[in-house]
Parts: sequence; structure tokens; C-alpha cells
Amino acid sequence: MGYVDELRQVLGEENVLEEPLELHIYAKDASLIRGQANAVAFPQNVEDVAGIVKIAEAHKVPIVARGAGTGLAAGASPTEGGIVVVTTALKSMEIDVENRTAWVGAGVINLDLTKAAAQYGLQFAPDPSSQSACTIGGNVANNSGGPHCLAEGSTTSHVLGLEVVLAGGEVVVLGGQAPDPPGLDLKGLIVGSEGTMGIVTRALVRLIPLDPDVRTMLMAFPSVESSATTVSQVIAAGVVPAALELMDKRMVEVVENWLHAGLPTEAAAVLLAEVVGETEGVEAEAGLIADIATSNGATSVEVAETEEHRALLWKGRKSAFGAIAQLAPDYYLHDAVVPRTRLVETMKAVYEIADRYDLTMLNVFHAGDGNLHPLIAFDASEPDINQRVHDAGDEIVAVCLKNGGALSGEHGIGLEKRDMMRDNFTDLDLDAQARLKEAIDPGGVFNPNKVLPAGSRCFDFGGLRRQELPEGVWV
Amino acid sequence: MTAPPVHLARLETDVPGAPDAPLKLVPRNPQDVASILRHASDKGLNVQVWGGGTRSGFGAPPEPDIVMSMQGLVEVEKWEPDDLTLVVGAGASVEVIELMLSERNQTAVLPEVPGASTIGGVIATGASGFRRTRLYGTRERVLEATVVTGDGRIIRGGGRVVKNVTGYDLPRLMVGAFGSLGVVVSVCLRLWPAPPDRATVTVGTADDAQRVARPLAVLEDRESTRVFIWGTTADVAAKAAKLDGDVDEGHLWPSDPDGEFGWSLRVPPALTAEAVGHLRDSWDFVALHGVGELRAASEGLDGASELRGWAEAVGGHLVVTRAPVGGLDGFDPWGGSLPAIDVQRRLIAEFDPARVINPGRLPGGL
Repeated sequence: MGYVDELRQVLGEENVLEEPLELHIYAKDASLIRGQANAVAFPQNVEDVAGIVKIAEAHKVPIVARGAGTGLAAGASPTEGGIVVVTTALKSMEIDVENRTAWVGAGVINLDLTKAAAQYGLQFAPDPSSQSACTIGGNVANNSGGPHCLAEGSTTSHVLGLEVVLAGGEVVVLGGQAPDPPGLDLKGLIVGSEGTMGIVTRALVRLIPLDPDVRTMLMAFPSVESSATTVSQVIAAGVVPAALELMDKRMVEVVENWLHAGLPTEAAAVLLAEVVGETEGVEAEAGLIADIATSNGATSVEVAETEEHRALLWKGRKSAFGAIAQLAPDYYLHDAVVPRTRLVETMKAVYEIADRYDLTMLNVFHAGDGNLHPLIAFDASEPDINQRVHDAGDEIVAVCLKNGGALSGEHGIGLEKRDMMRDNFTDLDLDAQARLKEAIDPGGVFNPNKVLPAGSRCFDFGGLRRQELPEGVWV
Repeated sequence: MTAPPVHLARLETDVPGAPDAPLKLVPRNPQDVASILRHASDKGLNVQVWGGGTRSGFGAPPEPDIVMSMQGLVEVEKWEPDDLTLVVGAGASVEVIELMLSERNQTAVLPEVPGASTIGGVIATGASGFRRTRLYGTRERVLEATVVTGDGRIIRGGGRVVKNVTGYDLPRLMVGAFGSLGVVVSVCLRLWPAPPDRATVTVGTADDAQRVARPLAVLEDRESTRVFIWGTTADVAAKAAKLDGDVDEGHLWPSDPDGEFGWSLRVPPALTAEAVGHLRDSWDFVALHGVGELRAASEGLDGASELRGWAEAVGGHLVVTRAPVGGLDGFDPWGGSLPAIDVQRRLIAEFDPARVINPGRLPGGL
């Protein structure tokens, strides 16, 4: 019996797809990289997932886990063929109000968890821009961030436990509600491993109380420098806003043209800041931020007066990518991170790269933590454009690394940046990472050839011993 | 034991406070650490890594062949206040580093009452500060780690930026690993800016703390229950008024519980008050409400088995963090069982194949 028939036997006929058109739909995530699956499986519970893993291992076919397919680094594109395991049917949700935690199925949509938790005065902190579509399983796989991780940290800081199907179809529960579980932090290792170590079926997440009050403010600046200086001075004053988001002039113009929110299109940069807490606290902090902005030449400081007003300000930020369609049919969204103090010079270099490749570039990013999202709008039908977009992207990442940054702040490595890992780490570092993968997935069934470039594990230690002997050793 | 090779003998120094061992070595740099661990791996020797003695009685260490003190790896390599990052040697004292950071109104949110603890010791043992209630634990502080594996490879994971998903999360894996994978030699820590004002408010019960949003910590000990707050002056004043208790300026952190045996009770957060109720009157303790952690001390281990039974039944643990030599008398310092222990073994085998660093410290015989 072929493995697709075995999958049907375990999951039921209706939960396995293999028609060409169906396979085409699941051949890529939200990145630009397409793969080709041999089958698509929809497990209904953890036992189904264990069954799929056993079948895949027996037939030596790869497994690629997929949530809503919103990933931007091709982590869920089945570039090695095999079985795409779509976890969207895993929708259980148990909220424990007393302990402020929830066991959430991998297929639950991020925003649905947030809405459900809000009924109890609680919230799930990670809030990627795709939160109305992306799943908790995807958030866990990619250690997703979002505007609010400036103050609260990325997904890993909010995952207390995991139910995971490991190699051999072994189902384990890692972590729990009690703090500091003994032993190695396998849970922490699996978060952000992009489906290369197992398939997460449920996550125990931390919920935090809803904020009693909030102030959201929009500030217009005559230069990117003055907005970046404001960000630094706000943090130096001891205030860590819940979010600090920056949009450049081109992005503001595009968003305003679409949304008509009254955004200051004449500004060189617009800073969106949000502070949360007790009323007295947020008022004091908002006043402080406004003072700092004004002292840096802000031309306007607008504080949201109503919840609708606040929602509108956020809509401008969160729907920025949707507004791009006015400019061009396709866009390539980058994700890289630099130390915050290197933001301004990095931005200058990024604009220069775009101009040199004659590309339309806009920027909207998490200014508080130095996480850039340069966006290139283009028309893929234009000749040679794909190569230009790709080459410009590589240069942008190279500039970020040169400025002390990292390859990805929140989108992950996947396939998109896999081969750039060599620019970020030594052979020995990559070998260590490959060992982590190998210890957990010895057969290499989970999402093979993602995250780590080929040959990572084959590092030759021959030259190492001599090179690492301390100075002055007599050999 | 045969004499060490010449290049290691040059690192021999007395290490005050450290346990006795045939060889006591003070490496000066990561390369020295690598040499020592390679030597130990080749000869099958146990290495006890010595920081400041953070939870040195934790687990069940065998007699070490080599004590390796981290006191030579204390350099502050890079402090970028505007980036909220600090790169520092693992042997640096938590107290000294926090004092330095406070000059620019910053903190690494490491344990507030660190004693002689080093940064490496805090990371290896997974010890967290009281402010974990609001700012989360030590694992959320470590952005980058440079590690020497048991077989002497120098590797780095993570990066020097506050947000990063580049590759597998090696830095967090080191937290609480007791050196089983390797010795952390330097780290990049995420810093936090300290707001201008802070106060400690004594309240009647931990429930009173719910009158304010997300305090830094709510701590109960034998003396009192205190709520720790910080923020702008207006914010602190407003919170203090809502808490309606005795207000002290600054943060008056409780001292470590006093007693021969130190242990940690970890339960779901909502059971913290119930856990306090299970303690004997003679046991000293600090309870972290909202976290589910109790740090306690006692003169013996009478009653610890029953308490562990209760903790494990509710999904928690009781872990011995300090014990006099020979004092455990068969009592398993960790208790419970580990999930995916085969995976944990394979991970350790990849990094410390001869199992030379702190063997026997982790649960499950790892």
C-alpha cells in the first residue's frame, strides 16, 4: 500500500488530498517560494498526527507542518515534496482564568484566542500583523512577534508548555503551569524551530491581564533621525511603551491614500506609540513621550481620544501591507533586525540599495526593537524584476548583518534565508545547531533542508584542535 | 590522578570557597576553557564549574576531579545602554554588574539578592529574580550565548539584538541546563530601563495586590506580604494609594530563606497561597504570588516528601536547591520524571559526549 492510501486509512478519505489543483494550493506559504507536495493531510487530533508521522517515517517521506500558511520565509513550502500536514482542525481551547493560562490547539487563530481571552479580562501578548489569519501553531513554529513584543517579548516568552509529536510518533507534553520545570528546556528549543523538530499539536500559553487603560499616540517628524532619537530618549527615560512603530513617508502616503485616516503625509516619518497601565501611569508616560517628541522637532502629536480613534491609528499600521496593492500587484516583505542605535544609518543604506536597483521601497517597522520591514513593491510580470528584487533583498540583509544585526527578527529563516545562515554563524555554530536538530529528529523527517544550509553537520574538525590551543602552549 | 599537562598546570590556582578537588583551574579565556574540557573528556575526568556557588548544593554532584572557576572570565565586553544590551563574561558577579547598570538606570533583571552569584551560575541553574512576576524569568534575558561544549568546541547562538529568530534557540536552552551541554563563557543580556520611581507597599494579603495592574512582584514571607511597584512618580503614587498599605520608598527585597536545606516549590500560580498553607511553621520561606514559586528553607527534610507528593499531584515540583554534604540521605533532589528523556540524553551526548561537566546535577541521571 502506498503512503497516501495509508494516510486515508488513518485519517479518513475526506482528510487527505492529492488532486493536482489541491496540491497546488498547498505548494507554498505566503513567501514567493513554491514547492510541490505529494499529499495534504488534515489531522483531526493528536493521534492522527502521530499516525502521519509513523507513516512518513516508514516510507521515508518528509513532513511539512502548516497552519494558515501566512509564513513569509517558505518554512511551510514543501520544497522537498512529501506530506503537508495542515493543523487547522486542531481547534481546542481551554482557558484557565485562575492561572491565567490556556491550552490552545495548534489550529486556533491568534485573534480568536485573543477574543476568547478578552471575555475573562485576559490577552495573549504576541500580535503579529497577520493575527486575524495566522495560527498558534504557526506562532509557536516561528516564535512570532508583533508590535507588542517590545515590552512583552516574542511567542517563546509566552509558551509555558507544548504537546508535541516527535519522531517515532511519540507524543510528549513538555512544560506546564508550574514554573521552571526540571530538565533541559526542550519546549524552548522547539519554539521557533520552524517545524523541523516535531509537530506541535497544542500549546499551553501564558495570558496576561487586559490593560486597565491605554494611550495611543501618533507623532509626525521632519526626519527619520528625529523620530529615531525620540525612540531612544523615551526608553532612556525609563519608559518601555507597549509598542513603538515607525512608518516612513512613502508608506504613510500609500496608507493615507487608501485609508483616509488623516495621517500626516507631509512628515518624513510617523511614529505610533502606545503605553498601557493604570490611568495615572499612562497619562504621565504619554505626556513624557509627547514632550520628548516635541523637543525633537515633532510637527504634530495626536493622542487617540476614543477607542474608534485608536483603532483607526492602528489600522493604518496593521493594514499597511494591504495598501500596497495600489502601487504594484506584488510585494516582497523583508524582515531583519539591527541594534536600535544603528537604525538611522541602516535605513539610509536600505534606501540607497532600493534606488540603485530602481525599486519602489516603503518602510514600516518595529522601531523600539530595531526590527526593520523594508517592503519592495513590484510587478512580477516585468522582465528581470525578480532577480533585482532578490539581489536587493540580499544586500539589505547584508547591511543589517554588517551593522551588528541578525537575519530575522520575527519571520524566521525557512528556506528564504537558509543559505545566509553562513553569514551569521561560523561552521562550528551551524554544526551545533545541526546537532540539536539531529538529536530530536534523527531520521530527518520533519521539514528537511529548512533553517540550516546543506552540509551544516559535516563540519571537519581536523583543523580545530590546533587553532584553539591557547596562546603560548608548547606543542 | 596523573599530573595535568603543562598548559593546564599554568592555570592552577586556589579557589576560595570551592569544593576540594585534585585540580583547581582558573581559565583566562574561552580557549582555556576549551583546553580544560578537552583534557577532561580525553581522560574521563569530572569537571565542576564554579561560579559564585549559586545553588552549589543543587542536585547530587560527585567528587569532582577538576574544579574550574570562572573568576577569570568577568570582562564587560560591550554595554550599549541605548540598545539595552550588555555583553559580559559568565564569571562576572551579578551584584557588580547590576550596580554598574544602575548608574545608567538600567537593570538586567537578574536575582535581586544575588549573594556571590555569577551571571553564568544564574543562567546554568535557571535562577530568576523576584521581578519575574512582571518582567519574566532569566531565560528571557539571554539574547546570545557563547558556550564551550563538553568536548571543547566554542559555539555561539542567538545574537546581540533584542529580537531575533535566527536559527535554533541555543541561548535559552542553556538556562537551567546545569552545564550539561556546555559551559557558558559569555552572554549578551537584554537590559531593562528602570523608571524613575519605585516603592514597596505592605498589604494584608496577596489578593490585595489585585487592586493594581501587573505589579513587579508580590512577595509573602513570615513577616508580611509586600507589593513591589515602579514607574513614573504619578504612577507609583496612584498605585500606592490604591493598594492602601504602608508605603516604603525603594524596593525592600526579602533575604534568602534561612536554614540548612534550601528548596523550591513550584506549582500552578493560582495555588501559591495554598502552597504557603502547606508549609510547616518552622520553615522560612518567600512566596512569589502570581508565579507559583516558593523558595523555602528548613533544618531537615522531614515533611518534604509529603509536600512533594502534593506538588506533583497538582502538576508541580519540589526541588532541593541547597543541602549540606551527605544531608540528602537518599532524598532525590529533583523528584518526578522527565518527559522525552531519550531526547534529552541524545542532546547531551551531542555536546558533552564524555559527560564531564557537572555530571549528576540534572534529574533522571542525566
